[in-house]
Amino acid sequence: MKIAYLQFYPSVVAEFKQLAPSNSSPVERQDYLPIMLSSLGYTDHDAQIHSSPEGASFSVCSMEEALKGRTLFDQAWPLRWKLPSVAALGQNLRPDRFQNFKRTVLALPLDSSMAMRTRLTWEQEKYLRNYFGEKKFCLLYKASVQEFAGQNLLYKCQDQGPTMVVVYSEKYVIGVYLQEGFQENKVSTTLFTIQETGLSPCALGPCLPLSLFRYEETSDFFILLDKKTVTISSEIRKVLRLPSLSGDTFIQECEAFRCDELLDERKTRGIVGLCSNLLDALRNYKPYGDLVHQTRILLLGPIGAGKSSFVNSVKSVFKGSITHQASVGCDRNGISDKYRTYSIMSKNDSGPLPFVLCDSLGLSENEGLHTDDICHILKGHTPDRYQFDFRKPITPNHPNYIHDPLLKDRIHCVVFVFDINSFNQLSCELVAKIKQIRRDLIKHGILHLALLTHVDSLTWITKGDLLDIYSCNPVKVKLGVFHRLFGFALSDILVVSNYDSEWQLDPVKNMLILSALKEILYTANGFLEDLPLNK
Amino acid sequence: MNMLGLRGSYRNTKVTTRLTWIEEKILEKLLGNASLTLLYQSNVHKRCTLEMTKKCSLQGSTMTIVYLEQEVVGVFMLEDFPDKDSKKTSTCAWFSFERNKISSGISALVLNTLVKVNSTSLQMSSISGLTLIVYPSKEGLYLNEAVIKNLELNVKQSQYLECEIFRVDGIKNNPGFIKKMVTARQHRGKFLSTLRAYRPYADLVSEVRILLVGPVGSGKSSFVNSVKSSFQGRLTRQAIVGSDKSSITTQYKVYSIKDEKNKETLPFMLCDSMGLEDEKEAGLCTDDIPHILKGCVPDRYQFNPREPIKLKHFTYAASPPLKDRIHCVAFVLDINSVDTLSDKMVAKLKKIRKDVVDCGVGCVALLTNVSDYDEVLDNNLVNMTENMTSLNQVQNVRNMLNIPVANILMVSNYASERMLEPLKDVLIFAALQQMLRAADDALEDLPLEDTASDDGSFNNSSHIKNEGKLGEVKRREMS
Repeated sequence: MKIAYLQFYPSVVAEFKQLAPSNSSPVERQDYLPIMLSSLGYTDHDAQIHSSPEGASFSVCSMEEALKGRTLFDQAWPLRWKLPSVAALGQNLRPDRFQNFKRTVLALPLDSSMAMRTRLTWEQEKYLRNYFGEKKFCLLYKASVQEFAGQNLLYKCQDQGPTMVVVYSEKYVIGVYLQEGFQENKVSTTLFTIQETGLSPCALGPCLPLSLFRYEETSDFFILLDKKTVTISSEIRKVLRLPSLSGDTFIQECEAFRCDELLDERKTRGIVGLCSNLLDALRNYKPYGDLVHQTRILLLGPIGAGKSSFVNSVKSVFKGSITHQASVGCDRNGISDKYRTYSIMSKNDSGPLPFVLCDSLGLSENEGLHTDDICHILKGHTPDRYQFDFRKPITPNHPNYIHDPLLKDRIHCVVFVFDINSFNQLSCELVAKIKQIRRDLIKHGILHLALLTHVDSLTWITKGDLLDIYSCNPVKVKLGVFHRLFGFALSDILVVSNYDSEWQLDPVKNMLILSALKEILYTANGFLEDLPLNK
Repeated sequence: MNMLGLRGSYRNTKVTTRLTWIEEKILEKLLGNASLTLLYQSNVHKRCTLEMTKKCSLQGSTMTIVYLEQEVVGVFMLEDFPDKDSKKTSTCAWFSFERNKISSGISALVLNTLVKVNSTSLQMSSISGLTLIVYPSKEGLYLNEAVIKNLELNVKQSQYLECEIFRVDGIKNNPGFIKKMVTARQHRGKFLSTLRAYRPYADLVSEVRILLVGPVGSGKSSFVNSVKSSFQGRLTRQAIVGSDKSSITTQYKVYSIKDEKNKETLPFMLCDSMGLEDEKEAGLCTDDIPHILKGCVPDRYQFNPREPIKLKHFTYAASPPLKDRIHCVAFVLDINSVDTLSDKMVAKLKKIRKDVVDCGVGCVALLTNVSDYDEVLDNNLVNMTENMTSLNQVQNVRNMLNIPVANILMVSNYASERMLEPLKDVLIFAALQQMLRAADDALEDLPLEDTASDDGSFNNSSHIKNEGKLGEVKRREMS
């Protein structure tokens, strides 16, 4: 596994920024990497941009490492370009590469936010969230910005509720969690270290928060900010799985966080509000130009990708309770072997909603949905409940064949459904088949989107992440991989988490399902708008 | 202190902002996709300026928010929060909105402001005469007339319900950036009304046609979608985009643009073409271009990379009227690959450029994928900045295609976003505006006889009576 970590100083970042759009996701930037990395011989890696007080850096690592947000520091060291000052820049750099250098640096002041940004990696934060519950860690104090002074830490953290203080030594991340935060009484205190394998906790029991930050002969643990040291007794070292060591450990950085609930009442209320707005918008959705009463959405995808689950999820959200009308299963032969069109009743009996979801047989290499059948479905020849035969497509001789389909019978938008965890394990044949289907759609001018399901079971993703799923590292990485594999534009890739095992609706899942559905329906409108006028 | 009674037992402090989730999201967006961290809350922390400065100094940019019964008033401060008993000037964004009705709008202005903290109050006063004073111990807020007028408030002095101070992360420490972000929405509105009011030069045509040409994957179809999205006020997809081995777009497509407000079509159309490729018999045939320019090619024509259009393909377009012709050509190029275009591609582009000149059509270049799109326009969003116009890529395009720098436009298409961004909209609108100006110039430049009236044999537009003649004249000129 080849891993490289390159650290760039602001100047180089500036040049890099010209190459890679700053609003692009880390993975998109990958496309620009060859230019930067050709000298190294690295070709096929994923890159991530990190910002730190020193400027910014980007790392290159394999997919698995990227998912864990991990980087390695000790390789590719020679590539580290150290630029002493702006004045000396001209001499150090090849003028042809840095023609715009001065201008760009002046135009790109470093983000002020870089100063107050945590050193915790995504993975470390995940470990903490797994242990202390779904928390949002709000950085209140950072010693390198607000001085190594106990007084300052106290100022920032007093009366903030549950608080966590983390110190970084050269090798370890050691923290202390104060359940009731900084106050004048004893509070329940937990020590922990974060290592490669995860979090090792050690409950200290009630402690005076202040006592943790001053020297006391009998104390098992204290941090002396002014001296930049942390002292841990040997018994506690054992519990924390730290190597036994006499004396103090030097610390490089200290950060303090308030621990907010990630999904508190305020956010839940906001999401419920958003969902009801979305529901209203979808109930009032009108197919473009009233050309049809209902837009037809075809779901295509490998067996077990979650097509029928998505139908059920949409039905459930509109019904207000979980329903399983479309039979779901991940039988190897694709359990939905009939063509089914699902119209969804709105809750208040005002008739069916203005869209129809069409569920098809799953795609697979040899068996599964026949490519010619797709063509018939798209044109509207295939009747509801048609029994698919993977050996041969429907023919006009079929008793229920729709001979003269109208615009309303046609498909107005195609959604490719994939399991986000396994789309990259599909066989080459199937990928090629899907790409070919996509090309045919493009040729016929049929708009299409991708829907990645099971996002909640993606490694490292927990429920709290669903709130802002598109900004989550593992999701960004996956979306980038998908984008490169199938060529969909990034904004045409949607993610959802279907209702599989739940008994109860969940506002956050509802939000994802409804926003995806909204995009799908408006895309169908784009197709209708694009039709030549004579039809 | 409300906590006094609890001394001796655990204090269950809970620091939660009064902003609703939606309000928080909208404010973060207003400041340019920032994130907010609550540092100080008056009902939880001590109600004195000392506590404010203890919590908020040395944190970077901050935002102070005061909650009144009906309204919320806030000041974003780019510089660090001042220490106790000190003052400093900073770029500040003053804003207000109605509680629980933030979606109906935020009033905001960016002002140079003096921020002062003394033992009893936090004072902010702008050079233009706006004054806001917070008295933490009395929970009092003073706003002068100027604030009330400028932020469209209804109250003068009042007790506030709560005062909160947030740290604002993830923004550029640059006054111009803040100004552009906060005022982008207003400017977007201005551009929108200008474009709505646009009429082609001397009403020679009812709709100006803009042709997009450029290498495969340079963002032609994305630009169509972006323009549509900006006018619709939400992300739309009508042109299929994505990436593949060859051009996704293989048909000539004419897109009219609908306005979100009155659902009317706007007086311009975007004509999307197949991408150009390096190889000879791949991508758009450069020989097709003159036919497209002259308006001979119908909507949805299927391009054939191996065989250029022959005029006899079409019965219709022997001598198309002025309204069917192209009035402005936009060379669409990815700014990141401008410097690395192959010689073959450059030759193709130059050839097209020549055809454009020959046909007397307006011409601009459109650079897409601009990463620092917030730096394209100056702080007042009227002109391009020198930093951008002096970029290598811009100079290269100027030299390659002989297009004046003013007509080398820069945008960032909607390709990976999930939401619209006012500043991107502004750039897209500004680019369109320049394209329309170029089209107008070309229309104005038409030979007089082209615009004089005649038999109008091909006429199917009430505006123009002379296209039949015009087409013939033009054709004669070219042959």
